[in-house]
Amino acid sequence: MNDKPDAASELSASRPSTSGLGWEEFSREVVDFFASIKLAMFLFIVLAMTATIGTVIQQGERPETYVQEYGEEAYRWFVRLGFTDVYHTWWFTGLLGLLCVNSLTCFHKRFPSVWRSMRQDKVSVSLAFIQGMKQQTTLPLHQPKEIVAELLVKLFGEKGYKVLAKSDPGEITVYATKGIMGRVGAHVAHLSATVIVLGGLLGSYYGFSEFGVCLEGQTYHIPRGNFDLRVDKFWIDYHENGSVKSYNSTLTVIDQGAPTVTKTITVNDPLVYKGIWFYQSSYGDAWDQIEAARINIKDKASDKVVATVDLEWNKEKAVEGLPLKMKMTDFVADFAFNSTEKKVFSKTAEHSNPAIRLAVDERSTVQSTPWVFYHYPDLFEIKDSAYQFEFIGYQPKKFTGLQIARNPGIMMVWIGCTMLVVGMTLSSLIYHRRLWAKILPGESGVTLHLGGTTHKSQIDFQKEFKKLMEKIQAKTSS
Amino acid sequence: MRSLFLFDMTFWLYLAALGLYVAYLFAKRPAMQMAPAGHPIDNLEDRDGAWATQLGQVATLVTVFGWVLNTMALMTRAFERMEHSGTFAPWSNQFEAMAYVSWAIILGYVLLEFRYRIKAVGAFVVGIGFIAMGAASLLPYRYQTAEPLVPALNSYWIYIHVSVTLTSYAAFAMAGGLGLMYLFKERAVNRGSQSRFYAAFPDLETIDELGYKAIMLGFPLLAFGIILGAMWANYAWGGYWSWDPKETWSLIVWLIYGAYIHARMTRGWEGHKAAIYAIFGFLMVIFCFWGVNFLLSGLHAYA
Repeated sequence: MNDKPDAASELSASRPSTSGLGWEEFSREVVDFFASIKLAMFLFIVLAMTATIGTVIQQGERPETYVQEYGEEAYRWFVRLGFTDVYHTWWFTGLLGLLCVNSLTCFHKRFPSVWRSMRQDKVSVSLAFIQGMKQQTTLPLHQPKEIVAELLVKLFGEKGYKVLAKSDPGEITVYATKGIMGRVGAHVAHLSATVIVLGGLLGSYYGFSEFGVCLEGQTYHIPRGNFDLRVDKFWIDYHENGSVKSYNSTLTVIDQGAPTVTKTITVNDPLVYKGIWFYQSSYGDAWDQIEAARINIKDKASDKVVATVDLEWNKEKAVEGLPLKMKMTDFVADFAFNSTEKKVFSKTAEHSNPAIRLAVDERSTVQSTPWVFYHYPDLFEIKDSAYQFEFIGYQPKKFTGLQIARNPGIMMVWIGCTMLVVGMTLSSLIYHRRLWAKILPGESGVTLHLGGTTHKSQIDFQKEFKKLMEKIQAKTSS
Repeated sequence: MRSLFLFDMTFWLYLAALGLYVAYLFAKRPAMQMAPAGHPIDNLEDRDGAWATQLGQVATLVTVFGWVLNTMALMTRAFERMEHSGTFAPWSNQFEAMAYVSWAIILGYVLLEFRYRIKAVGAFVVGIGFIAMGAASLLPYRYQTAEPLVPALNSYWIYIHVSVTLTSYAAFAMAGGLGLMYLFKERAVNRGSQSRFYAAFPDLETIDELGYKAIMLGFPLLAFGIILGAMWANYAWGGYWSWDPKETWSLIVWLIYGAYIHARMTRGWEGHKAAIYAIFGFLMVIFCFWGVNFLLSGLHAYA
């Protein structure tokens, strides 16, 4: 940032021009290109434009979705250009990489001069240099030059400037500077880009993020951490008006057979164990288990409901007054049948066609395991049974959705972020100002040539310069 | 809800302030410009000048009063939130966020007026504050009430992430208003217009510099806001960055202003271009703030 070519750089000796394209010249050209502000602007704009793509086109959807919405031809192009996952394409990463190269080269090219001016300053300048500045004035004064110089040093010092003075035969030059940290800040911000991108890469190569659907009371093995996680409890809190206030899971880490940590996690409050974070991410109704089911038992002969029973999961129950024992053994939320494997499964996680499987024991003679459907009560009937079973209601079992993640790059990202914020704040609040004063012998006493330059905040500096001028006038006239 | 009445009052006061600032521009008649025909400045002209000054003072007064009401409205809303939703952040939904943005814009403007003594800016910046407030009150009633927060929002991060981000939006709004003002003034200068309307405007360089300052304030604030958001996401969603439309758009806005900040370092990017760019940037901020919520889906759908 902050490297608007100012008057000072015009002073620097022009490089000797060599004929031909030597290595040095070539490398200088390369550095100039990669350190250029134009490249930075180009990258900012191109990154902004390409980032837009991913917010307009849904990312990471199934092919059918794209074909349906945009057509087949468009979808083929999307795949070719990586528009279905823009932020992970080689070219997007490449742009980020280029931004890092850009900011690093800028640091390499421009920071040394900032560093030098922090350590030693250019005091001697020509009169023409001062007169060429945007803020400059000439004051005829009556005091001897030493007194004027002393006054200036004191005045600038009071204003927080770092002051250097140099006495040459016939003239005194006073140099004052303030706010170099503004420039340092810009460079810190530049370096932060690379730190953040590296942290991001580290995370994406060595980190992971998974989603786990867990049921209360179950224990799950976490292979990445080589420990087990038990879900002790899951519950939902509600606001007065019935909306969800929070959902919570009590988790216990079991490491090498022994419970080590127990914590109740909730949204915004994860559990961290061995660098692995467990987030309360979502919840929902399980698709392979329910808490309880309500069954109507109809007498086939009379077509009348003779009993209604509530069955708990996997618990046999004897029906009162009837020679029946029942058990609910399976549940699927969206019934489907795999005919090759002869297996029942849930097509989706949605409860669109719920069905339970019963184990019916009728007078210890008829035994059957029918599937009964919530939406289709008449679909099947048990041949020899005297009864018809209707699945009329159920209480779903809630699962807790846990996000399980580890990100070894995160510290680096936070360090980069801190650098960015600190650097940017310094660079926007503090601006680098430099003042030069030359005291030359004049007609009656001395002539003071005062000039000042800044790379931004021109109006503030203009005000400050004016005030300084008035102060000098006031002090020298008295 | 009591706060809604106060928000309403704020809206009308801002409207009044805007009207007064515009009237101030039309009334302003510096003596210098009245003189060219050689007529001595008579009493009438003097009275006119005084009239403008008084209008300006009333405009400032009404603005400050409106801002105080805005503050009270936000505070009342904070109390209402405490009762109903376990947080007091009065920027927890779109409506409150808009009201907070206009609060920040007006505060910024009042500070600018007191520091630089330029009233003409009010016609533009108070205008934007008023529009923000007006847009908020156009939202359906169910968006205006203090409904309880969804679990993901119920965190102390909401206090800082949202307020910092919205404050940066306010700074960009200020820059956008100044950009617009620059273009108006520039047109008048190019035409050699002697219209008294423009006489109260500060010179082009000052408008340009103030706009730049506003962006220099908003740019790090937005970065800080985005980073706070990333830290929050790391606690709530299981990852600091998930390319959700809202976070992507805030990054886009940041990149756009990043390009601007760098452009200012090269020659030829002050003035006209910068003014147009500041307006463009502000339109992007509006899209990020409003458009994304209503046009794109994502994790931020609630705010």
